[in-house]
Amino acid sequence: MSRINDVGGMAGFPAVLEEPDEPPFHADWEAHVFALNGALIKRGVYNLDEFRDAQERLPVEQYLAASYYERWFAAITTLLREKGVATAAELHGH
Amino acid sequence: MGTDLAPGDRVRTRATDPAGHTRLPRYARGAVGVLVERAGRHPLADDRARGVPAEPQPVWHVRFAAADLFGAGDHTVTVELWQEYLTRVEEDA
Amino acid sequence: MSGEHGSSVISARVRHVEALLEARGLLDDGEIDTRIDEFLAGGSPANGARIVARAWADPGFAERLLADANTAIREVGLSMAGGLQEQRLKVVANTAAEHNVVVCTLCSCYPIALLGPSPSWYKSEAYRSRVVRDPRGVLAEFGLDLPADTRIAVWDASAESRYLVLPRRPAGTGSSSETELAALVTRKGLIGTAAV
Repeated sequence: MSRINDVGGMAGFPAVLEEPDEPPFHADWEAHVFALNGALIKRGVYNLDEFRDAQERLPVEQYLAASYYERWFAAITTLLREKGVATAAELHGH
Repeated sequence: MGTDLAPGDRVRTRATDPAGHTRLPRYARGAVGVLVERAGRHPLADDRARGVPAEPQPVWHVRFAAADLFGAGDHTVTVELWQEYLTRVEEDA
Repeated sequence: MSGEHGSSVISARVRHVEALLEARGLLDDGEIDTRIDEFLAGGSPANGARIVARAWADPGFAERLLADANTAIREVGLSMAGGLQEQRLKVVANTAAEHNVVVCTLCSCYPIALLGPSPSWYKSEAYRSRVVRDPRGVLAEFGLDLPADTRIAVWDASAESRYLVLPRRPAGTGSSSETELAALVTRKGLIGTAAV
């Protein structure tokens, strides 16, 4: 189905905001999420297309409210669960 | 399915709204564009996203007129599209 | 989710998942830090700038770059092979008649080997939604007002190719060295949201 990531030509978004001297990551955890994704793909736990797909399947409200790397992390935990690497409870630390 | 596509051909993109992941943007669905060049061969992203093994197939740079995509604009948009998304438009005699 | 509280919550969650994966043998000790360091030390807009400077200084290189960028960039010691998968590089040259600008409307694909980490604006829904429909307006917001008779070509990175804009060489640089030329090239110029 048409998904929330597919925004080319979509109306309603504001002017582009540029952050001067933007650092590559705004917090350490973002860098960790970035690296974690690379490590898991390298190990073949999932592939890049599955990763994009998992982001696109996030509930729309969650997707829009989340920051860029929050979406990445949500996709990673979705795939870890779906691939049987860990249960939802284990991923949440219960 | 257009196995004899060549640069300069006019193609129409698939119009369907697929069930899963795809790399044909909604704004370019069912649109007519021109093949600029072949851009390599890759397994279909739609299949890879489902964990389905996929053989590499040609991907093409397809150029669209903004007016055809959005009804306005004097620019072009070139999108890289898997051959499976494309059908050659037969020219009238 | 924003602010310090949110940040500390997700930070803890990420640490927890890393620890879990290490315990399961899916992550090596120190692997995350190594990956981060390599990423930050690797790609940078200086790489893209070097390619552009060489292309300006050497028309033969420019021709080879436009014909087969993956091969040509090896001449300046660069490569697209370092990431998760080798990406095809497409270099698109600005001319007096046509200006190129790059976007990934579906996600945020970007040539990090040549440009470094992508800026948030490139990843934003605002940029991705609007630049395909109104590139002239978006470029004007970036301070780039193109003549009305300059065509704009938008490239949407929807598959495996990654794109680098070859800006027009600024006037008055005829006697500049390659190093001086490279210093003129900005990240925005390489994406197409600035003239150079």
